[in-house]
Amino acid sequence: MKVSRLMQSKVTWAIIAEALILLVCFIIRPEFFSISYQPSTGMLYGSLIDIVNRSAEITIISMGMTLVIALGGTDLSVGALVAVAGAISLKFLRWDVLTYNTPGDYTVYPYVLVIFVPLIVCALMGLFNGFLVAKGGMQPIIATLILMVCGRGVAQILTDGKQFTTGYSPFRVIGQGSFMYLPMPIIITIIVVVAVALFTRKTAFGAFVESVGVNPSASRLSGIKADTVILIVFMITGLLSGIAGLIYSSRIMSNDSNNAGLNFEMDAILAVVIGGTNMAGGKFSLAGTVVGSLIIRTIVTFVYYFGIVSEATMAFKALIIAVVIVLQSEPVREYFAKRARKKEGVSHA
Amino acid sequence: MHNRQSLLNRITNPKYIMVYATIGIFLIVYAFGAFMYSDKGFLTIRTFANLFIDNAYYGISAVGMTMVLITGGIDLSVGAVASLTGMFIAYGTTVLGLHPMTCILASLVMGVGLGLLMGWVIHYLNVPPFITTLTGMFFARGVCSLISRESIDIHHPFIDALAGWKIYLMKYANGQWVRIRPIAFINFNVILFVIMIIIGTFILQRTRFGRNIYAIGGNEQSASLMGLPAGRTKILVYGFNGLCSVLAGVSYALYVKSGWNLSLQGGELEVITCAVIGGTLLTGGVGSMIGTLFGVLLKSVIPALITFNGNLLSWWGKIATGLLLLLFICIQRFVVTSAGKRK
Repeated sequence: MKVSRLMQSKVTWAIIAEALILLVCFIIRPEFFSISYQPSTGMLYGSLIDIVNRSAEITIISMGMTLVIALGGTDLSVGALVAVAGAISLKFLRWDVLTYNTPGDYTVYPYVLVIFVPLIVCALMGLFNGFLVAKGGMQPIIATLILMVCGRGVAQILTDGKQFTTGYSPFRVIGQGSFMYLPMPIIITIIVVVAVALFTRKTAFGAFVESVGVNPSASRLSGIKADTVILIVFMITGLLSGIAGLIYSSRIMSNDSNNAGLNFEMDAILAVVIGGTNMAGGKFSLAGTVVGSLIIRTIVTFVYYFGIVSEATMAFKALIIAVVIVLQSEPVREYFAKRARKKEGVSHA
Repeated sequence: MHNRQSLLNRITNPKYIMVYATIGIFLIVYAFGAFMYSDKGFLTIRTFANLFIDNAYYGISAVGMTMVLITGGIDLSVGAVASLTGMFIAYGTTVLGLHPMTCILASLVMGVGLGLLMGWVIHYLNVPPFITTLTGMFFARGVCSLISRESIDIHHPFIDALAGWKIYLMKYANGQWVRIRPIAFINFNVILFVIMIIIGTFILQRTRFGRNIYAIGGNEQSASLMGLPAGRTKILVYGFNGLCSVLAGVSYALYVKSGWNLSLQGGELEVITCAVIGGTLLTGGVGSMIGTLFGVLLKSVIPALITFNGNLLSWWGKIATGLLLLLFICIQRFVVTSAGKRK
């Protein structure tokens, strides 16, 4: 019984897939797993650390995306919000560029504004998405398409189409600093994952989300304020995109409205689906999403590590994801579950 | 008498309201441009012909996308497949020395094959269209980069002839045909676009296959309970969309005469936007080719207006497109609720 239930769970398949990819890495090059300590920066280095570090943005965004998908929707605007957050923070760091014409270790506006205004703006933009979905009754995919199309335009106009760079060291800490031997993005990711997990699992909010995702009208009748749940979920996703945007722009110490967060919405949705959350809504798994995000990044790191042309990663990513998705698809899972059940039946007899 | 009434009924059918809204807003925006920039030549036939010339590849792709959206699906791979077609043509003719037709045939096999495969996975393995076609997009983009990471120019007499071929628009004056001034022409891409729109309209309005597409988009379960071949229809629709993506790629290659692995990035969303402002519902079951045609024109008139203005950053175009989307979704919402109330 237990085996067949495990075989039916999509999260199991995600973990098996990740383990298999790592196993292949280990067989080809064992030093893939080596981790070393660099005293000068106080950070640990190694491919594994790198995978977790570089997956930070997608993991953070996909925490919100998991909730949106559990509601039965998708949020396409997250990539554009990453660009908006970067544009606003760099604008506060460097405005007015004419007076402060060389980038250096300074900020023009207080650091509080640099951090909080982008987060607030992104949360408000998320709220706008939520408003269109909850009050306007639009499909999430199309409601968020609006900001996806507009967002990069807004980011460009905020910075006059220019690319600013900065050398402000407290800003550098967000993406390149370290804490307890670990790169800062990993710490931020852990905080975000724990916060979202506590918020959804230790309060009734997670159950509300699942119930609205399965049947909005039934949950409304049973006293759940579906509209409020939708608004909160989209706002959280917007806020998390803002955090990811700060990490991204701190890594490059610049704003890049064209490429910041490009295809992040796709990667985040993939991470959620690989992690076993059904796109039709309902039950969600935050742990699965984290594994999904790690799988995507492991593939990319793996390909980089073995020196394959960087843009070609996409083809490998597609092939591996195709295998994972086919393994997770209903007919295949049912087939395996049936076989497992048959085996158990034989052993019982 | 009976005939006339049914014609009136057909014209005022609420399912066409979206198409009328698209045409109406296009006319308003065009009239605005004519009013503001008539001195710069916005009203000339050349400007109108350029709308088609500069956006034919989006239009060709939008024909297939409209069908996919009507079935209630989505296809994110179109931009990447079109880009891959361009790479096939560029690499094949310039590096391998093949004839462009061979490359186009190979692209057709690739595009239609990928489309059919994605349709199969979507229907039989029950994987959401969004995820399936996203994987298809990653795959096609990755293969593009595997072929070459740099832009390859296309130099081939056949391509040059096809890209340079144009029909000048003529007028009859003083007893002879003369080219109109300023010179306006249409090229192969425009003709391909118009032919694809006509084929799309024919399939949707006049064939059993087209009716199946609408039925499946309306309600897949009842359609298959009624005995309609849901699986076959969906797979063929994705195959047809693959064909449209490849033709769009050919048209884009003729337009820019090069292949680049990162070209048409985000093109899929431009195409979806065209279809949506043309009145196609993403929930499926509603949409038409005429609407999509005007959706493409409406979306392409905005950059034209910004060019004519000359002072605005091109980024305002994106914001204007986003606002247009918002407007159309609100109209759709209004139409759907009022239609629901009527029932």
